[in-house]
Amino acid sequence: MPASLIGSKPVAHISIENLTVEFAIFGANSRSLKNRILSQATGGRVMPGAGDVVTVRAIDALNLEINDGDRIGLVGHNGSGKTTLLRVLAGIYKPSGGALTITGKVGAVLDPMAGMDPESTGIENIYLRGYMMGMSRHEITGKLDDIAEFTELGEFLPLPMRTYSAGMVARLGFAVSTAAHNDILLIDEGIGAGDAGFQKKAQARIESLFDRTPIVILASHSEALISSFCNRRVEMEHGALKRAV
Amino acid sequence: MKRPALIEGMPDAEMPVVHITANAVPEQAFADLIAGAGLYELWSRFAFHDIRQRFRRSVLGPFWLTLSMGIMVGALGLVFSTLFQQDMGRTLPYIATGLIFWGLLTSCITDGTSVFISAESSIRNVPMPVSVHLYRALARNVMIWGFNMAIYVVVVIWFHVGLNWNSLLFVPGFLLFLINTAWISLTVGVLSARFRDIPQIIANLIQVVFFVTPVFWSPESLPHRPAYVTANPFYHLLEIVRAPLLGNTAPALSWIFCLIMAAAGVAVTAWLYRRTHARIAYWV
Repeated sequence: MPASLIGSKPVAHISIENLTVEFAIFGANSRSLKNRILSQATGGRVMPGAGDVVTVRAIDALNLEINDGDRIGLVGHNGSGKTTLLRVLAGIYKPSGGALTITGKVGAVLDPMAGMDPESTGIENIYLRGYMMGMSRHEITGKLDDIAEFTELGEFLPLPMRTYSAGMVARLGFAVSTAAHNDILLIDEGIGAGDAGFQKKAQARIESLFDRTPIVILASHSEALISSFCNRRVEMEHGALKRAV
Repeated sequence: MKRPALIEGMPDAEMPVVHITANAVPEQAFADLIAGAGLYELWSRFAFHDIRQRFRRSVLGPFWLTLSMGIMVGALGLVFSTLFQQDMGRTLPYIATGLIFWGLLTSCITDGTSVFISAESSIRNVPMPVSVHLYRALARNVMIWGFNMAIYVVVVIWFHVGLNWNSLLFVPGFLLFLINTAWISLTVGVLSARFRDIPQIIANLIQVVFFVTPVFWSPESLPHRPAYVTANPFYHLLEIVRAPLLGNTAPALSWIFCLIMAAAGVAVTAWLYRRTHARIAYWV
């Protein structure tokens, strides 16, 4: 459906083939140099170093095609690999097996407060958070009024963020995180902020964000959130696909 | 679900296409370094923010950096010129340049040890090249160096340090100095993320090296040059920037030493970063 609107222009797309992600977890011991050296000296007979390192397979041979227009609700138990998958798609974790092809600019809201600093003012934090969302200075300046108005923080914006309540901080983070334009948007653990009145405004803002973003992947435990925003549902278990619609 | 084809402010031109395979991961190390450098707007802003943050609500602000360096230079200069009965006009410019560049060099290295560890939350949650954090730390230290250089300017004017054509060699010297600083920072950064003893080892080493390196004392005061001066990379790095700033020429040995160190260091770092850049996100 969107292809006809865009014509010959490239279309946002994600193709995941046989993706495997493994990583070694180092215990408190094996990270120190002493153990490395001692285990060399003992020739690995007395204390085999391999015993300290646990390899976790966070994603196991996963295949998935995601097309323009998909709003994917990513569900699964804690530790089923949802966040790891988002991090791989964001380019943060590199695959240890398989391949993925991503067409489109990727934006991620894995931590809605990333980049923000309590000692800085609200305005400064809009810039700091904006840079973390991949926006340029020019872009942030252009959206400053819209963001400031949406937060309803008014005269609090020139004050340091440490004077804000938790709800006010969340509003600010939310307002900037939802201002960016991306082709692919990855969201972890839901998105939203504020009191009841603000929730309505937030809902409308999320809808407009989803409408202008070709692909959205939302990892959440909230069935309500997923059924109201998503048109596909992907369930993960032990790093593999359990069910994908 | 409908979506307008063109939305104001949205780049409608080409979409970037990224193909990531497990085998091609090492090749992305250089792409990571280049893409990180391209985000200069981001890291310079954050570097500036780091400095402003440190001195927020203080009256002097970042000029505390200048003042602290001035006090240190003044005190050491006074002690040494009286202790060894040397001419203040020769000692003070030497100590000032020595301390300023020693400060830049060692703060890049000590900040290098925490460059990835302290950026843990950004590395794990924000899609951007990991090298951004290195550039941020380097930019921050170069900015601090800028504030410290005010002391040099004061000293040059006060003591009439004779600048001449040799002083132009400062430009290539500083470039070579920065290249060496950058690779050392990146290498300690990667190693520190993996082995958490490295930051402590480096912190201790730097303290010791400060005394055996001619930072505030001159090797000319020794009867003959010991090996810890001739083979000391820090001495040569200081020499290629200090000598031009004092209107002298650095010995050819220092230039050769620094050139070889830059070439070998960049090669080793490139090899290390190729192997490890993809794992930094798992290590931090």
